[in-house]
Amino acid sequence: MKLQAQVNGSPFEADVPAASSLLDVLRGAGLSGTKEGCRVGVCGLCTVLVDGRPVSSCLYLAGCADDADVWTVEGMAVRAPSVVGAFVEHEGMQCGICTPGQVVAVASMGPEVRGEDAVRRYLGGNLCRCTGYGTIVEAALDAQDRRGVPGPT
Amino acid sequence: MSVRSADETAFFVPDTLDAAVEALSTPDAIALAGGTSVGLLLGQGLLVPSVLVWLGRIPELSALDEADGRLSIGASTTLATLAAHPRVRATLPALADAAGSVGNVRVRSVATVGGALAHADPRQDVPPALLALDARVEVVGPQGRRVLAVDELIDGFMSTALAPDEVITAVHVPVPRGRRSSYLRFTPGSADDYPTVLVAATVAVRDGVPIGATLAVGGAGPTPYLVPEADALAAVPVGQWADVVAEVADAAERRADPVSDRLGSAPYKRRMVAVWARRVLEQCLPATA
Repeated sequence: MKLQAQVNGSPFEADVPAASSLLDVLRGAGLSGTKEGCRVGVCGLCTVLVDGRPVSSCLYLAGCADDADVWTVEGMAVRAPSVVGAFVEHEGMQCGICTPGQVVAVASMGPEVRGEDAVRRYLGGNLCRCTGYGTIVEAALDAQDRRGVPGPT
Repeated sequence: MSVRSADETAFFVPDTLDAAVEALSTPDAIALAGGTSVGLLLGQGLLVPSVLVWLGRIPELSALDEADGRLSIGASTTLATLAAHPRVRATLPALADAAGSVGNVRVRSVATVGGALAHADPRQDVPPALLALDARVEVVGPQGRRVLAVDELIDGFMSTALAPDEVITAVHVPVPRGRRSSYLRFTPGSADDYPTVLVAATVAVRDGVPIGATLAVGGAGPTPYLVPEADALAAVPVGQWADVVAEVADAAERRADPVSDRLGSAPYKRRMVAVWARRVLEQCLPATA
């Protein structure tokens, strides 16, 4: 199929099998910031936004991304600069392989994700083997704060 | 049978139900909704369809309305939408909690209620909740519309009564006054893992006394199942609730037919059915203090 979409705010075209994964399409187009991990939708490494929703791009089919608005970690400095800034400031990373998925996941949080418990539950599907999550959660809470989301009521 | 490569799989995006049903009559066609299960099976080479028929662009499948004492939930409604919907949370907490328990945010943001039913994995959170809530599943195919109970639809391990060219269009759930519902999953692993057992219950209460109850169990057999012995809770005076709940929980355990796997041995799962059945029924009964 000829896939036509917006990726990180720019027009994107690719001639790919419709049943290929969005992950393979993006990486095949040189957008290698999105990492491949478990390939079964569990680890969160390949998290991208499709029409504002977080998805596992390893399971998301190219055919379903036609006409869609896709954002990857490469676009986060434009779409969610406060999230990127919070990860840098709190050093919400160590080896870095989960970081693209963590940043995109935090960028997908809505205002209903308030306070540490909610943030930890929301990020429960983004696995990290290095940090112990402390600085990632700090970065996420700070990012929510910067976006004007208050603490738990 | 010739071997087909995944690269040859066609992709069709119908904008009407009729077009979807027609496309699904192609041999080896597969309906695709959120894609979290189909994506897995494709990725593992377990499924090589001739054509994927994506149901994500059919407007009538994503409606969510309340009328005549029931909520009608379009099959394409995502689990995230269901879990956050104010009316679902207020009137069907068991369903909201079940939908909000599936996998992780990325799964829930695209996985659909219709897909959860059609996939018929016995470890799925949503089907037992719909079973306990006495939901009806509306299905459309070339012969027209039919309506099935959840335990008529799911007829075996990862198997349904759907014909290849039938599509789940909606789930209708009654919202009677005074009915309380609850959903619990026992997940000794990480929160996003499949549950060892899961339970959903409803208790209808009038004047502080139960007048009817349902209990459904998942993860403990090839299909989710109802425990009809829950009827015994009707009209039981408050002093005898604990005894009757224990009897119902024992009945739930007797009806369990689990397999041993990494989520627990079969005898362990059977015992956990009784424990969690008791807990979920207790949550639905009015406070007695």
